[in-house]
Amino acid sequence: MKIKLSGSLPSLMITIVTLIFLDIVATSVIPALGLLKFRLGFHVLIILFMGFRLDTPFLAPLILLIQYVHSVFSVEGWAHGTFAGVLVCLIVGYAKDLLSFSSAISTIVVTQIFQTCWFLILTILAFFRTNSWPYVVEKFWLFIPESICLSLMSPLFFAFLNRVWRTSFSASEVEA
Amino acid sequence: MDYLSPERTKLKLGLNILVLAASLYGVSKKNYQDSKVSPFEAVMIESFAPIQKLIYFSKYKVGSFFDHYLFMVDADKQNKHLKEHVYELENKIYQLQEIERENLRLKGLLGFGQVEKSKVILAQVVGWDSASQFKVLRINKGSRHGIQTRSTVVTSAGLVGYVYRSSNNYSDVITILDQNIKVDAMVDRTRSHGIIEGFSSNTCLMKYVTRTEPVIIGDQVITSGLGNIYPKGLRVGKISKIEKESYGITQFIRITPNVDFRKLEEVVVLINGPKSKKPVNLSELDGGSPL
Repeated sequence: MKIKLSGSLPSLMITIVTLIFLDIVATSVIPALGLLKFRLGFHVLIILFMGFRLDTPFLAPLILLIQYVHSVFSVEGWAHGTFAGVLVCLIVGYAKDLLSFSSAISTIVVTQIFQTCWFLILTILAFFRTNSWPYVVEKFWLFIPESICLSLMSPLFFAFLNRVWRTSFSASEVEA
Repeated sequence: MDYLSPERTKLKLGLNILVLAASLYGVSKKNYQDSKVSPFEAVMIESFAPIQKLIYFSKYKVGSFFDHYLFMVDADKQNKHLKEHVYELENKIYQLQEIERENLRLKGLLGFGQVEKSKVILAQVVGWDSASQFKVLRINKGSRHGIQTRSTVVTSAGLVGYVYRSSNNYSDVITILDQNIKVDAMVDRTRSHGIIEGFSSNTCLMKYVTRTEPVIIGDQVITSGLGNIYPKGLRVGKISKIEKESYGITQFIRITPNVDFRKLEEVVVLINGPKSKKPVNLSELDGGSPL
């Protein structure tokens, strides 16, 4: 969907509030339930949605804004996620015509593929810094369950964000 | 503006390049040792950390209801046993106080520098980092309570980590399980030095211990006091695995921390007085190369 930034401020605000709420869930509720190893990066889903659905030249600054808000809840900071997010959205931009969101299964598969791209970019950055294979392996074993869980949630989550941003499936996707 | 116009494409390309360049610069400048909180981050942390605190507080209350009311079957027996234990410990403390006084007198005679006592701040855990690869926790005390970045954080069981960043009322503590932390430590029994790094969700690695050091599984590891972050003698963990390769000069040692991070609820932050501020030498802990 082609958007004008001035008309999308309410949608952006709702998205940021949603991100804050979900980050609070990830940092407090999930650890309070005893799941210390398991955190869900909802910011990844939001940025992927923006890459899939929004056709705006201001996508990169939007990703930066989302990552900056997310950095309040993580020492990872804004830079790594912004770099990965912009690169992934560039790939999404080139592959957009090939992507299908006609069913929940296809949405789950596409989300999983691009989460993997995100993970690979972050892992390469982490490997440059740490030069440690065990660290990469540890990250990978954490990534698998977390990313699958996020992918399974993506149809519902994207449906919610579709309403927030008033986007809809294109005719070709519905026909498919 | 026409959405298919070249101006729009140019704008998109320009913004992408600008943001990618800024983020790459941010990646290269990222410092995992400590961080200053920006005004925006401070406002956000101060606004939303109370919600995290409320969630954790509810969890403590529900947990304590079960612990204090429902699971009290053996409380009377335990109480008698603990009273006897307290009596024994009080005797021991008295003996140790005598030894401490003697130790101070002898140190004074030998001309050792006086050991400065740390100010102690008790804090509650209110949240964890939102990314699972970072083992960072948030506590409900900040710079208003006297907490400074790089202050040591402990529990009665041992070392937790140090303060990474702090706003007025909240601080983020980077734990010893995190891969970005380096602790200069030594094996208590053999006095063998090494550097501890976070490895996984419940283990750390002890690096640079030479193969010839006679360490064994179960040995207690303590902080060495080098690096000027952690005081000497804090318990870190016990050796749980040792691997010696047929090549190389060091051994691969895994440490299980003394602190049970899954059940961590309260921590103690040690604040050194202004007199004891020494230059922190983190690069030494990393084998001389900057992170």
